[in-house]
Amino acid sequence: MAAVSYKPYFSAGLKEWIFTTDHKKIGIMYGVTSLIFFLVAGLSALAIRLELYQPGLQYMSEDAYNKALTIHGVLMQFWWAVAIWGSFGNYLLPLMIGARDVAFPRLNALSYWFFFAASVLALITLLPGNHIRMLWTGYPPFSLNDNAGPVAFYALIIHMLGASSLASAINLVVTNLTMRAPGVTLKKMNLFLHSFLAMNVIQILGVPALAGAVTMLLMDKYFQTAFFDPTRGGDPLLYQNLFWFYSHPVVYVMILPAFGLISEMIAVFSRREIFGRTSMIIAIWGIAILGFMVWIHHLFTSGVPDWIRILFSYTTVLIGVPTGIKIFNWVFTLYKGSVRFTTPMLYTLSSIFMFLIGGLTGIPLGLPAFDIGVHDSHFVVAHFHYVLGMALTLAVFGGFHYWYPKFTGRMYNELWAKIALVLVMIGSNLFYFLQFIVGLEGMPRRYADYPAIESWIRLHELQTIGSMILGFGVILAIANLVFSTKIGKKAEDNPWQSPSLEWLIPSPPPPHNFDKIPHMPEDWDPYHYEWLEKQHKKH
Amino acid sequence: MAQHEVHHHLGEHEYSYWPLPVGIAVLLVPLTFIALMVWQNPMLAILFGGVSLVLFVLGIAGWIREFFSKGHEEGLGMPAMMFFIVSEVVIFGTMFAGFYMARATHAEVWPQWVPKDMNLTIPLILTFILWASSATIAIAEKLFDTGRNILSAIFVLLTIALGSAFTVIHVMEWLHLWHGGFTLSSNMYGTGFYMLTGIHTSHIIVGLLTMLVAIYLLLSGKAGEHKGHTYIKAITLYWHFVDIMWLLVASSAYLIGSLA
Repeated sequence: MAAVSYKPYFSAGLKEWIFTTDHKKIGIMYGVTSLIFFLVAGLSALAIRLELYQPGLQYMSEDAYNKALTIHGVLMQFWWAVAIWGSFGNYLLPLMIGARDVAFPRLNALSYWFFFAASVLALITLLPGNHIRMLWTGYPPFSLNDNAGPVAFYALIIHMLGASSLASAINLVVTNLTMRAPGVTLKKMNLFLHSFLAMNVIQILGVPALAGAVTMLLMDKYFQTAFFDPTRGGDPLLYQNLFWFYSHPVVYVMILPAFGLISEMIAVFSRREIFGRTSMIIAIWGIAILGFMVWIHHLFTSGVPDWIRILFSYTTVLIGVPTGIKIFNWVFTLYKGSVRFTTPMLYTLSSIFMFLIGGLTGIPLGLPAFDIGVHDSHFVVAHFHYVLGMALTLAVFGGFHYWYPKFTGRMYNELWAKIALVLVMIGSNLFYFLQFIVGLEGMPRRYADYPAIESWIRLHELQTIGSMILGFGVILAIANLVFSTKIGKKAEDNPWQSPSLEWLIPSPPPPHNFDKIPHMPEDWDPYHYEWLEKQHKKH
Repeated sequence: MAQHEVHHHLGEHEYSYWPLPVGIAVLLVPLTFIALMVWQNPMLAILFGGVSLVLFVLGIAGWIREFFSKGHEEGLGMPAMMFFIVSEVVIFGTMFAGFYMARATHAEVWPQWVPKDMNLTIPLILTFILWASSATIAIAEKLFDTGRNILSAIFVLLTIALGSAFTVIHVMEWLHLWHGGFTLSSNMYGTGFYMLTGIHTSHIIVGLLTMLVAIYLLLSGKAGEHKGHTYIKAITLYWHFVDIMWLLVASSAYLIGSLA
């Protein structure tokens, strides 16, 4: 397109990387940090699985098991499932709306450094004497106990992450609403951006609630306030309410952008506009709003009145409606489309499949009658590993492959990418599906040991084998992505033939993205593939 | 809309030195707390705190300077400030939740927690001071809009004086109650009272610091630029938010708190 060709955005010196305010470089920095912590969290998960391979304690003490659970939970939730969207959002948002950067580029850099600060604090907790063992929820009164480790780390890590999320969310919402290029209307905006907008609005409304909750924890521990002390008028349930007021909506912070990626990929590889596009946007906001009305379902066994439990049971089941709309729309997009089974498309379809299993098991979990029976069992663990663990990670890896040519200017190895996906799918289903069964049989979560029941031993052995296959598949996929940056084939500017704005500029983009701010014509739309073909014919 | 087109030079990498030092300064804040409370090492805490302060002041000063010499600001400060205020409301909301939960569930014992020194005179005085300050900042904004920068700066200074008076009177009130035996750890009234008013006063102090920068901008003439204009509007909005929040905080912490 451009008459002059510029050097790609990533060929910059060390100074230009460290002090960068470029949204693309910051996006890459988020992604790399996120992936490193994802691997650490994954390894701690494998350690947990190894311990559960046989009943009894073989490889680690109960204390070490607690630490491993805490590391796995905190890192997977905050560094992977939330922070990875800092990567995709930063990189893609300005490209998709036709801007050269975000609204506040320096604030964007500072958001990354807040995130980095949280990472440093998290790494310090790995040093002896600073371990935290309060799991990722940090419930009082246990977290205020000295056995739980220094609560200051937990609370301040969340403060740092919160500052990062909040600054980034405000920045990106303002960018999205005010900096769209002429012709990129709200209606024509990519569906990823719609879900990313909803995600950031949830962050703005939710993060402060968690920040408030951990501030109370910090004050109770170090300044003897009475928030969670019933003898002085406090209430530990206050923490649970505030915590889940954010931490339930945060699962939509994690999954909504994943839905966005699925929509992008399923449209381009079916060569059809997303079926029921308006209903998709309504569903996104429906999920975002309902997400704030269901938090009590995490407290079904915490002693809340029955009428509240019934109310929140209704709202919880109601979330199935917009989610169902999205899944039906994706399936109908495939109908009569010319489907291409490329690696990102296979990841997308796998993600929808896994989300369906996780989503359908989530509905009975919303019913107190069932939930009280399986509360804190491996059934719950399997449920959220299907939706957040697998559906999210598969969508993210689909996104890695889909935008790989855009990020790096090269193509990944198609064969190895597909082998990795097959391993991931076999391993994860072997692992998590059996976790449902052992959970229904009564295996409680968070325990390092279990009674030597014949069928349980068999189920745990198979789960551990599944988790190893899963881990191997993930490492293979990442290795493929890493090595392909050096040895991959050079990619074309628009390998998937998408009219979405980020594909209409060179791959990899130049530092300034657009030589001229684009003015998109009336007949353009990120999902109107005929428009692109017409453009090709003109040239 | 396309102003950012002007700022970007084709093919050049954009960078700024200032976010990193500010980021390190912010990282050192939790480390200071941890050094003091967890590692019990006051010397290390002083070191961390000192370095943090220096880096923060230098970083922010450099940032402001760069903001006015180059940059991509496009008058988007107002929507950003509005979203920020929404999140602030939720932060206050968590503290209100804790306060009212205890107030409702411990209604029988609550009257025993109210200290004898609690009275409504001082909060009333504080309310009038803040109302006056909301008026002075509004006048300052009006004067700035009509281009009378010096006069506007005087009214901002007046607002700072009122805000400082508020802070000083409030701290004296705290000390008085605290010495009377009503502390942060007495009971949920003490906790709720000091947390609500404390968080509010911390917002007052942040507001005062932003106004110092505003005076510099008004007197140096930089406020006339597009960017300076946004800054003045944004901090005025913030100050009004802090004032409105005071009504909720005071009516909860003093009025509903001390009702028998």
